[in-house]
Amino acid sequence: MYKSLVLGLLILTTFIVKGEKNSWKDTVSLKEVSVSVSVPLNNKEVVDFYRSNEFSTLDNMNARLEGLTLIKRGAYALEPQMNGFSGGQLNVTIDGMKMFGACTDKMDPVTSYIEPTNLKSIKLKSGTNCSEHGCNIGGSMDMSLQEPDEKGGDQTASISYGTESVSNSKNVLFSLGLNKEKWSWISDGVYRKTERYRAGNGLIIPFSQFEKTNLHSALKYSPNEISSLKADVLYDIARNVGYPALPMDVSLARGSLFALEYQRKAITQLKAKVYYNQVVHIMDDSQRDSLYLLKNKPVGKSDSVYMRMDMPGKSSTFGSYIQLMVPWGERNKLTLKADHYTNYSLAEMTMHMRYAGQAPEKPMYMQTWPAMLRNVSGVYAENSSYLTSNLMVSTNARLDYNIDQLDSEYGPEQFGIFNYNVEKVKTNVIKSINLSAQYHFETDLNLTATAGHSERMPTIGERMGFYLFNAYDGFDYIGNPNLMSEQSNFMKATFQVTKPTFKINISPSMSFLSDYIMGITDPGIPAMNFPAKGIRVYTNVPKAKLFSTDVQLMYTPTDYFTAFCLSKYTYGEINEGEAMPLMAPLKNVLALQYQKNGLQLQAECESALSQKRINILYGEQITPSFTVVNLKSSYEFSYSKLSFNTSAGVTNLFNKVYYEHLDIGRIYRPGRSVELYVKVGY
Amino acid sequence: MKTILSKLSILLLLSIFIFSCKDEVKETTTAVHPLEGLIKLNEGYAAGAKVEVWGKKNYFQGYNNLSVVLLDSANTKDTLKDAHIHFLPYMTMPMMKHACPVENPGALAINGVFPGAISFVMPSMGGTWDLGIKVHNHKTGKGGTAMFSNITVDSPSSTVLKVFKTPANGVLVLSMLAPLTPKVGVNDIEFTIHKKLTELKWPADTTFTLAIEPTMPSMGHGSPNNVNPIHYKNGHYKGKVNFTMTGEWKIGIVLNNDTTIGTSANRYFNITL
Ligand SMILES: [Cu+2]
Repeated sequence: MYKSLVLGLLILTTFIVKGEKNSWKDTVSLKEVSVSVSVPLNNKEVVDFYRSNEFSTLDNMNARLEGLTLIKRGAYALEPQMNGFSGGQLNVTIDGMKMFGACTDKMDPVTSYIEPTNLKSIKLKSGTNCSEHGCNIGGSMDMSLQEPDEKGGDQTASISYGTESVSNSKNVLFSLGLNKEKWSWISDGVYRKTERYRAGNGLIIPFSQFEKTNLHSALKYSPNEISSLKADVLYDIARNVGYPALPMDVSLARGSLFALEYQRKAITQLKAKVYYNQVVHIMDDSQRDSLYLLKNKPVGKSDSVYMRMDMPGKSSTFGSYIQLMVPWGERNKLTLKADHYTNYSLAEMTMHMRYAGQAPEKPMYMQTWPAMLRNVSGVYAENSSYLTSNLMVSTNARLDYNIDQLDSEYGPEQFGIFNYNVEKVKTNVIKSINLSAQYHFETDLNLTATAGHSERMPTIGERMGFYLFNAYDGFDYIGNPNLMSEQSNFMKATFQVTKPTFKINISPSMSFLSDYIMGITDPGIPAMNFPAKGIRVYTNVPKAKLFSTDVQLMYTPTDYFTAFCLSKYTYGEINEGEAMPLMAPLKNVLALQYQKNGLQLQAECESALSQKRINILYGEQITPSFTVVNLKSSYEFSYSKLSFNTSAGVTNLFNKVYYEHLDIGRIYRPGRSVELYVKVGY
Repeated sequence: MKTILSKLSILLLLSIFIFSCKDEVKETTTAVHPLEGLIKLNEGYAAGAKVEVWGKKNYFQGYNNLSVVLLDSANTKDTLKDAHIHFLPYMTMPMMKHACPVENPGALAINGVFPGAISFVMPSMGGTWDLGIKVHNHKTGKGGTAMFSNITVDSPSSTVLKVFKTPANGVLVLSMLAPLTPKVGVNDIEFTIHKKLTELKWPADTTFTLAIEPTMPSMGHGSPNNVNPIHYKNGHYKGKVNFTMTGEWKIGIVLNNDTTIGTSANRYFNITL
């Protein structure tokens, strides 16, 4: 009974569940990332299982988490999609801190500024029940940064090197830790450089290279057992990043983050945080064929034109929050949180054109995200209560007050063109309320039911975006200053069976959306960008539906052998039965693992059905099915004070030529690749 | 403990206000001198008055807003407030002589000046421009003309006036008055249309319906939701033009009641932002 109570608490309050440390892992100072989702077989097992190699990127890991799929524009910076929701429909936070990408074309999701080595855990919540760090409708992904461990050794250090043959990639990772009395410090980082990769048919995919450096450092001061003060600095810089699916690349993507945190862990827990982060994103088309042929050639000018675009974007966020966790009565826990952030975003576009034999045209300038300050202040309350030892009920609610403040004349002026009378300041209030109940049966069965309502603000692009070219459907997108918030009514059920050798988790969910935000064609406005087919204006569509289900199975017949299977399925509908674009087909990952005395062998089979339910108006085509097999082996051992970890693997063993449905531009995925990895730890 | 808490709450509050606060600038309106920002282009004498012609810049081919100041010859500190003024521009070319469209000032001065306009249809290069200012001084009852010979009419870097022949309406003068400082967004656009009846008679024409077609020639796109200019007084037509970005724009003009005009490539003005 007591055990089940603990289990229930772990699951429902979604505390970060740290996996048990394997004995052979104890010598490895580079900590593993643990993942907490609402599954009994969550935690680090999943990540370990699905980590295709030890130096894999965050994207590689995310692809294998419950409910998560990835929208791909290149080999770098894949955009997470959760149960069919993406972009502004998801809360992506770092230790509860808000951070926003600076690209108008979604080339830099926040996850692209974080590396697995920076992370301690990832916390996922789905649907409307995600509003701990802000009202939203699709789900949340909160990434906790690696923390100095005052209970660890005095000094720890590790360095590792990995390479992949398919892209000739070089990856160097390091991690350092120091402890002295009340002070503890860690630092971790990565350097990656990859060349263009080769697809299964031998084709070298142009513009698929990237280079990045990431550094994270944290200093913690613990004057006593219960209180601590922590400072984090994170710096991530990527250069020469190619995007094969888009008409532009990125010459610089830089994220920096500074955070100060105070924590007090008594019976009542207090956490307070102040932070600032900045993202700079500079798009670059200097490597692309910039010669265009114009159909309507201008008077007296030749019809081929050389064109270059400067598209810098900047997003900075300043914020803070304070959070209290108070146990009360015998069976209740109350969480209270107050938070605020201010985000400043600006994206500009300057076009430089030159016709053959002519003087250069005058530069053409516009603000694709007109300078805007978004101020959001919110309060959040959550209470979990055990009504009986088997039944736990949890409720949470949030209220956000939002002030959008346009900071340049360009915003109102540009939208005056479309007959909008844009006010410089616009405010609104959005809310979220959720209720969930969990019942634990004596028969190792857990049932959880969640229902909720929530809303989300339109993003700056959806409100004020100005001629944003979308490579997916080939349209220029224009914002809508009068856009209303998107709303969702959400239901989710989770069935969990936990036997000693067998675990199963099925979690269907359903979102009924109203005022769903999507681009609707406006034939009255001519397109601007050369490749654009027309104009789409962000509009509130009366209704949409999203259904999603995940099935996870884990079978452990012996201590050495485990089989793991994850299936994800999402079904989306706009209006009455119209297919929602960007929906992945049924995807399945099956993995078998053998593990003994530091030796680990793993075979993984990744497959997806063909996606035939498509929306042709949004540029979709039928995606064929595929099956890919990956192999991995690793061996860990110690020698004197040093610990070693070596691994070798092959991904896409059969050199399959394939792409996934969410791969924009249907660019082939990498072909067969041999990976080697070695790590030395102290 | 308590002090830490209070410090933290101060930080929290600070973070709320640091970005949200902005100084509000109050706009004040001050009386502007009617000649503020103008330069004196010519001065001379007629009908017992000193005649001064003021403009934003030197005369140019296009619609020139001009302000005439009349100073009493007896007491040049005193301006005349009541007078009839006629602009008499006159161009001498090797083969011909002609005038151009004018808008003569009203009989009563506004803020001490007489505002009017001349649309010079050619720059000085093709011949010689002379400008006569005919004054009927209502104070003294005298009449006379101040002559400014061989004035320079510049050719602007970007054309703002077009003269063209139409089968239905003969020779027309189309001047673009606005936008003077075009910006990204919605801009007022204003034209005047004058008809050439004889070499000396160029009256305003109020009968046209205009359509504008802004395009960015280098990119081949246009802009949405423009408002076609409609006539409001004395041959002036006002509408709205939208620019989606800076750069070079071309405003194509269709004069609807002359079907052949729209096809002619010459009916456009360039605007650079
Ligand atoms: Cu970008």
